[in-house]
Amino acid sequence: MNVDQLTQQLQSDPLFMKNVVRWDTTPPREAHYADFPEGLDARLQPVLARRGVHRLYTHQAHAVREVLAGQDIVVVTPTASGKTMCYNLPVLSAILKNDDARALYLFPTKALSADQVSELYELIEEMGVDIKTYTYDGDTPGAARKAVRQAGHIVVTNPDMLHSGILPHHTKWVKLFENLRYIVIDEIHTYRGVFGSNLANVLRRLLRLCEFYGSKPQFILCSATIANPKELAETLTGRPVHMVDDNGAPMGARHFVFYNPPVVNRQLGIRRGVIPETRNITAMLLKNGIQTITFARSRLTVEVLTKYLKDIVRDPLGNAGRVRGYRGGYLPTERREIEKGLRAGHIDAVVSTNALELGIDIGALDACVLCGYPGTIASAWQQAGRAGRRKGTSIVFFVASSAAIDQYIVSHPDYLLKKSPENALLNPDNLYILLSHFKCAAFELPFEDGDGFGNAPGAPELLEYLDEAGIVRHVDGRYHWSAEDFPASQISLRSAAAEENFLIVDITNPQKHRVIGEMDRFTVPMLLHENAIYMHEAQQYQVEKLDFDACKAFIRQVDAGYYTDSDLNISLSLLDIEREEDSARGVHRALGELRVSCLVTMFKKIKFDTHENLGFGHVRLPETDMHTEGMWWTLPDEVAAKYDSDTLKNGMMGVANLLRIVAPLSLMCAPQDVAVVYQVKSPITDKPTIFLYDNLPGGVGLSHKAYGMQQLLLEQALQIVSDCECPFGCPSCAGPMGEIGMTGKRTAWELLTALTGG
Amino acid sequence: MNLRDKLNAISKPKITVTPVEAPPVKQYTDCWHGRAHYPMRDFPFALDVRRETVMLMQGEEMPDGFDPMRILYLDTETTGLGGGAGTVAFEVGLGWLEEDGFHVHQLLMRDYPEEKFLLEEIVRTADRFDVICTFNGKTFDLPLLRNRFIMNRIRTACLDKPHIDLLHIARRVWKLRLRRCNLTNLEEALLGVPRVDDLPGALVPERFFSYLKTGDFRLFDDVLEHNAQDIASLCTLLAHMCRMYEHPEQLRFDEDVYSMGVALDRFRHTEEARRCYRLAGGEMHAQGQERLAASYRRCGEKEEAAQVWLGMIARREGGVTPYVEMAKYYEHQRKDIPAALEMVRRAIALVSEPSLFDETSVQEARNALQYRYDRLRRKQGRSKE
Repeated sequence: MNVDQLTQQLQSDPLFMKNVVRWDTTPPREAHYADFPEGLDARLQPVLARRGVHRLYTHQAHAVREVLAGQDIVVVTPTASGKTMCYNLPVLSAILKNDDARALYLFPTKALSADQVSELYELIEEMGVDIKTYTYDGDTPGAARKAVRQAGHIVVTNPDMLHSGILPHHTKWVKLFENLRYIVIDEIHTYRGVFGSNLANVLRRLLRLCEFYGSKPQFILCSATIANPKELAETLTGRPVHMVDDNGAPMGARHFVFYNPPVVNRQLGIRRGVIPETRNITAMLLKNGIQTITFARSRLTVEVLTKYLKDIVRDPLGNAGRVRGYRGGYLPTERREIEKGLRAGHIDAVVSTNALELGIDIGALDACVLCGYPGTIASAWQQAGRAGRRKGTSIVFFVASSAAIDQYIVSHPDYLLKKSPENALLNPDNLYILLSHFKCAAFELPFEDGDGFGNAPGAPELLEYLDEAGIVRHVDGRYHWSAEDFPASQISLRSAAAEENFLIVDITNPQKHRVIGEMDRFTVPMLLHENAIYMHEAQQYQVEKLDFDACKAFIRQVDAGYYTDSDLNISLSLLDIEREEDSARGVHRALGELRVSCLVTMFKKIKFDTHENLGFGHVRLPETDMHTEGMWWTLPDEVAAKYDSDTLKNGMMGVANLLRIVAPLSLMCAPQDVAVVYQVKSPITDKPTIFLYDNLPGGVGLSHKAYGMQQLLLEQALQIVSDCECPFGCPSCAGPMGEIGMTGKRTAWELLTALTGG
Repeated sequence: MNLRDKLNAISKPKITVTPVEAPPVKQYTDCWHGRAHYPMRDFPFALDVRRETVMLMQGEEMPDGFDPMRILYLDTETTGLGGGAGTVAFEVGLGWLEEDGFHVHQLLMRDYPEEKFLLEEIVRTADRFDVICTFNGKTFDLPLLRNRFIMNRIRTACLDKPHIDLLHIARRVWKLRLRRCNLTNLEEALLGVPRVDDLPGALVPERFFSYLKTGDFRLFDDVLEHNAQDIASLCTLLAHMCRMYEHPEQLRFDEDVYSMGVALDRFRHTEEARRCYRLAGGEMHAQGQERLAASYRRCGEKEEAAQVWLGMIARREGGVTPYVEMAKYYEHQRKDIPAALEMVRRAIALVSEPSLFDETSVQEARNALQYRYDRLRRKQGRSKE
């Protein structure tokens, strides 16, 4: 059955349509072409023609024209629109014309770079020219590295390797730096928050070295659709960037189905679970032979869904290879095999976290199921974009969970369909990040009196500070690195702390211990605490021992019939107040720096299928600390005095729940980037206080933004709770009654009224 | 908070700033130079180092007019051991032989602006020599100096000469016995001279940073002494190693002779390698013989190889390998299937004895033998038809 037939069948099925809130259909899009721009090397066009490319899409021609005119550009187009051509053409042309020319390609992950290089290889091979394209990353063998440094025309790497493997050793890359013409950065929308702030500083270092070697590279950037691609590109590079977004690629018709599971308990506002509903929809697609990708928000959900789906397709011999799971933590070889299986069509359904959201080549699939809202509009479109070919119809199902934000989306489908995706925020001048990279820069090349560091503020103060600390030495007009350390090794670009990953070791077979995956330090306490049930490719394991010092978790296969879910405890302490003020109604609000300590103390055991709670266990693990920015509201005494402590607590929980819904929407960020915490008697203010902070070390400016628009945030929260028709609170407003009690919604409304001064 | 307060707040541990008086503006005109001279009698065989011997020790080509007095011995002391663009060679020791003995010229920068004088002096000196000799210079000293030339915008090829890296040579010959092949270990084991009161290398960078803070030149005393000793050692060791390569029969340890054979083999000095394999006795005898036979076989000298394998079988050396090799020999050279079968049969008998070895590897060996046996039996059957 094809998608068009399935669409007809579903639309005539009243049982299914009962739960469909909105069925949106985008008609197919025609291709828009433009002629090859003047100025490309003459050898390129015949090769493209042989590959069936006779004209370029409008955006490709536009991009090439601007690059040839010397502009830095950012190309913003959806998945599968042929954006690689936008950078491969000018780069290949430059190298064909001048064999000394060099280009640097940056991809956020190793997997992506492997994919893109194979495409480039094909073009080069077809031309029969000697253009050397090499991948330089942690997997590059030592013997090959020298060749890459000397002879690679196009060096493909990732920001981490550029940061720690290339820039500090720039003297070994003289040829590259002296002749660098183009810096290509793909998927720039992934560089937000800490990762983006780090990359912006890595680029400051890169450009500084290019200046030393006398090259003036141009940037070619690519982004998926976000609200501020131009701003993001300019913040990353510190330069004005021209935007190319006149997409000319064709697209088949697409159905977007908003599905809200039926309510099973009206009083409590409880709906059928998102996991069983997703399972049913995916199973239906699977049975109809429609190749499907299902996205789930957590690794755990991926494993649970994979297990369910594998059970459905298992053959008499127990094989269920047609259904696969995919997420971070699987080993690279396993991931490559799954990607290949998808492209070749051996795999009919894959269940993935956002790991497959990036441009990894898995071909275009027919259908996509979103198990819950992925958190941002940009992500939702990236994931939905996995289904959809240039010709032929595709279908996307959004299955809402009972989470407030999901319910908001499903009841306002236009938010997703019409509103522009989020801003990608980053803060290259985050002092932690800036200082770390400034040290790396000083190591790489002495600063001279009057030197700046890109457009970073305060270079003279930073130098003076490092001089006094004995890290650099100011003599004869220059600041020389004057320490034994290798500063690049102290920074990890993807998290604030340079921590190593934990290895996950399967000890089921005592003869043969086997590493089956790895996990970052911040996730370990949640998923790999002792006695946790860890799932990998739908096999259950129990964590036998977690060795925190050796960074290893030892697990053993089990068949437990339940899974575990851990509770996170958060405590806050104050480092510094930056601004504070009192409103006319006595509400105190402040902005400042906070230390956030996270501790996992216990976990719950939850039965498969019924999702009953089977009991709990304790976790004994060290705290993890984060230093970030936050803002907070303190209730006036006369408001707090109206309630007993339980009522107040439930009301504040309601306000916090509401702020969690509105904050990401107003701040245009991912829900996980901003945290809201309430304290009935806060150790910081000694009073009832609600905190909102950047859930990223050092902060990226979200709290600053929230402080400036705090009135609007509170008013939006008040409006949601006022507009909601539920009697005592539901997941779409102040929270379910089970959580906030009978009075929670009412109290939340009263507190917000007091806070807004209404 | 201003930027300064913030910097103090986020850095741990908090830095206590001791106000330093602004140093007087100095003119930097040269780096520090130190010179030393050692009498010729301390370097007994140093002038006998021959091109052919050096080329036995490593794969690199040496210049035609090779002359031991045109070897530049070089060793650096650095501000860090990790490498990278921010690591500086603050002291460089250069040494060479003249008719009257060994000369050491040490260059030291007392502050960063003196670095370019130090580097320029290296260029001037190196240009007078044909060959460079270091200890681990291939991976450490020379790349580091090349970095420094680039950082100071000095374009030079003065280090791009034939290079003798004693560490790599020493590792190939002495690693089996000494395990750790650092300069101190080698001096003690090869020359019989232990170092006394030597400065551990890891403490060297700190001396430089302390000097910058205090200006106390005495901090460099043992750095300079340590460096001068290293330079002189390079010359002594090279001469010593050459003599050993020329007279392997004088080596006292079987491990060393055997390793030297492997090293010679690596650069295809077949005859010299065989000589060492034949000399390897004691515990190394079996391995030496095995290598010897492999060398013959590789060169197509099948009969000689077979003689060695048979000798090993007679002495019960080398486990099943000689049997398997003899089986191959009978099968392919002599076309004597029954003799080949007999060899495999004896090998199977050998691995069927109870053994202390790892079960799985014995099992694998047994399977491979059984497979060979069955194959030979089939071949025998076919030829009878």
